[in-house]
Amino acid sequence: MRVVGGWRSWGGLVPIVTFVVLFGLLPIGILFGTTLAGAGGLSGLVAVASDPLNQRSVGNSLLQGGLSAGLAVAIGYPAGVFLGRYSWPGRSAVRGFLLVPFLLPSLVVVLGVLDLFGPSGFLSGPVPALRPFGSGIPSIVGANLFFNVPIVILFTAAGCDAASPELEETVATLGGRPWRAYRDAWGASTWVGASVGGLLTFLFSALSFAPPLLLCGTRCYTIEARIYSLDQVLLAPDAAGVLALLAVVLFLAPTAAYLVLLGRLRTRPSRRIRPLRPAPLRSPAVLAMAGVTATVALAEGALLAAILARTFDPVGGGGVGSAWGTLFSAATATRLGLPVLAALGNTIFFATAASLLTVLLGIAAAQAVARRPHRGVVLGGLLFLPLLLSPIVLAYALATFWRPVIGGAPNVWLLIVVSQAVLALPFAVQSVEIPLAGLAAGASESARTLGATPWVAFLDADLPRARDGLLTAGMFAFALGLGEFTATYFLVTPQFTTLPVALYGLTDARAFPVADAAAGLLLLLSLAVFLVLSVGGRRVEL
Amino acid sequence: MSSSEPVLRVERLTSAWDGAPVLRGISFDLRSGELLSLLGPNGSGKTTLLRCLAGLDRPTGGQLWLRGTEIGRWPTHRRGIGLMSQEPALFPHRTVLENVAYAPLLAGRTDRAARDEVAPLLQLLRIEAFVDRRPDQLSGGERQRVALARTLAARPAVVLLDEPFASIDVELRSELRAEFRRVLRELGVAAVHVTHDREEGLFLGDRVGLLFDGQLESLGVPSEIYAHPTSVRAARLLGYNVGSDATGPFAVRPGEVRLGAPGAGRRVGTVVAAGTVGDVGLTIVAFEDGARWEVRVPPAAPGASIGARVGVDWDAEVPLGPAPEPSKEPKNGRTLQRP
Repeated sequence: MRVVGGWRSWGGLVPIVTFVVLFGLLPIGILFGTTLAGAGGLSGLVAVASDPLNQRSVGNSLLQGGLSAGLAVAIGYPAGVFLGRYSWPGRSAVRGFLLVPFLLPSLVVVLGVLDLFGPSGFLSGPVPALRPFGSGIPSIVGANLFFNVPIVILFTAAGCDAASPELEETVATLGGRPWRAYRDAWGASTWVGASVGGLLTFLFSALSFAPPLLLCGTRCYTIEARIYSLDQVLLAPDAAGVLALLAVVLFLAPTAAYLVLLGRLRTRPSRRIRPLRPAPLRSPAVLAMAGVTATVALAEGALLAAILARTFDPVGGGGVGSAWGTLFSAATATRLGLPVLAALGNTIFFATAASLLTVLLGIAAAQAVARRPHRGVVLGGLLFLPLLLSPIVLAYALATFWRPVIGGAPNVWLLIVVSQAVLALPFAVQSVEIPLAGLAAGASESARTLGATPWVAFLDADLPRARDGLLTAGMFAFALGLGEFTATYFLVTPQFTTLPVALYGLTDARAFPVADAAAGLLLLLSLAVFLVLSVGGRRVEL
Repeated sequence: MSSSEPVLRVERLTSAWDGAPVLRGISFDLRSGELLSLLGPNGSGKTTLLRCLAGLDRPTGGQLWLRGTEIGRWPTHRRGIGLMSQEPALFPHRTVLENVAYAPLLAGRTDRAARDEVAPLLQLLRIEAFVDRRPDQLSGGERQRVALARTLAARPAVVLLDEPFASIDVELRSELRAEFRRVLRELGVAAVHVTHDREEGLFLGDRVGLLFDGQLESLGVPSEIYAHPTSVRAARLLGYNVGSDATGPFAVRPGEVRLGAPGAGRRVGTVVAAGTVGDVGLTIVAFEDGARWEVRVPPAAPGASIGARVGVDWDAEVPLGPAPEPSKEPKNGRTLQRP
């Protein structure tokens, strides 16, 4: 008997799997093999693992990741429950706004931390006691929280959505008080959501690059920063490769846990969605949740506002707004090696190309995962693997394996596009995959019975319903491409310098507030993408 | 409380969704040990009514009295009103026993005491053989039995049943209906049951109410409700053929219609479908005014071919009135008991 859908239905996964294997797993596998051999095999592995500086980077990664994840969950959980369970004025706007930090380049956030808590920060200026938050571990954790508290909030809210409303009502009709309903019916799924957010925070923070580099220096280097330093500064590529391999082993367990919990979060036990109820603000617990949510929204807004406000600081004897003039001046062009407008053009070009590539791969993948949630989980795992290996390792592997193949520096732009697409895929494809996985089969099956092939049925019946998801995926990939710094910084040659790389140069040289103007430009671009997503009424899933 | 005093009294209950009325002044009493079936088409407000009674939705007006106490503002968990829905909503991570014993454990009983307390219910609902299974290891009918046992283990003053058999296979449905009726009678629990299935409503209820557009149109014992439909929509819901003549609308039972030659009956129509349903012949006749009637005859009776003109006659008809206005009290069966 032939199974309907059989092996042919996997066909859609071929392009995306081929892409990830060719531009992710294969070069990385070869990199690990060659560097391990170059370092002397097992003895080299032991030597790299016992190096005190490497050990410190591992300790830093665990410390920064653990602290950031713990605090992000502590702050994000109550706000996530408030967002996920209750209706209140401005809820949709806040939910949308919380996505902005995720789309922002890490360098912009670093700059925002300096603008608020640095030597002449908006907050640390009048309140010197806040200065410790402008450097060292507290500043790095602060930057990590800016990115990741919204992630925990959104995943916790998704956990509220995933709970069964019938079960909650049943507990009440059986005599259980609200806290019992929380304990027995809906609390567990919110913790699954918070744990997913917490694990993602841990991974992002433990593998962060720009914050330790710019806010603290070598004593705070994470594994990611240490790999970069070993390869690009100390010129020890084998040691860098072996350390990357150790990092993979180290972060395998949290990544697996993230994927398993993400799969659980997507398995809805009920067809009915719990309606939101007006927030009972007389309840002290709910009031506290509202307070945390407002504080988070304000803090996120304050950081963004600080960057934009700083761009109006006078520079070089000029007046208000002279930072913007300086940003586009010939002097800045000389310092960066190319005009800022050219860097902006490069940025937009790479982001556009990466988003188109992502959408094309997303369409193919969508066909394979439509109505097959388990495949979505498998695909998610596959796409997440390169991310586990971190952008710097990905860039390192791409440069080692593909750079000679494509003809060297003149064509390195290809690798930048590919790396941005690989990094955007896990998040962008979810926007397509989640709505498709839950589709009813009716329309597609009707098309099949009317004579359509599986592909035609998919294009006619399913794809139109995934159109919003595809547009979101494209915009998402575009926004992530705009802000991508780590892999691009590793791969880029001067002629292909992007705005984030230029921003790094300006920040590293402490060229404030011109750097703020560059950050403001990136921020405005990201906000524009967010507005397009919001005005389009598209719901974005992380 | 005297034995004649109702367990539950619902007075002029109203509810709205986005400003549109869903319940329009529902009133009824539920007596001790009584099973009240409310029969209504989709969108008539059945589920909303039960959710308001359980405290899951907030009514916009009216009063609820449970054993003489006004409970309209009480939270769900304090009401002592159990709700069982079409979806059994069992705790997926708990065994059957843990599900059923949930409410006794909630009330602070020890494991042993809770187990002893629910043992008779497990036996009564014939689920004692799989107490250690989890919900995903049960069939649909078994899950519904467990859900009822869990609801009853909370010792509710009133049980609300929201189309509990809607997702059950046809052959199992009648068995479960009989089982539920037996258990509820044996325990003497008062219950309100809502359904759109007339056979189920008329079979289960000690009394039956007809619900349309958020109004309770009729309330009475099943035989009376069936014998005396009060309006065109009530007659249609109960399965009558509806016609109209100079005196107004009337209803005729499908089994009391006879087919003959075109000039032989009071009306003339065209056969649009004909066949058999088990041991009954079923013919659909369309009239010029657009009405369609079902005619049920023994299969041996002479059938009419599709497209044939036939005369239609009947033995008895029930005169029908118009649907009552929203503010009117339900009639038939006939008047509600007032406090």
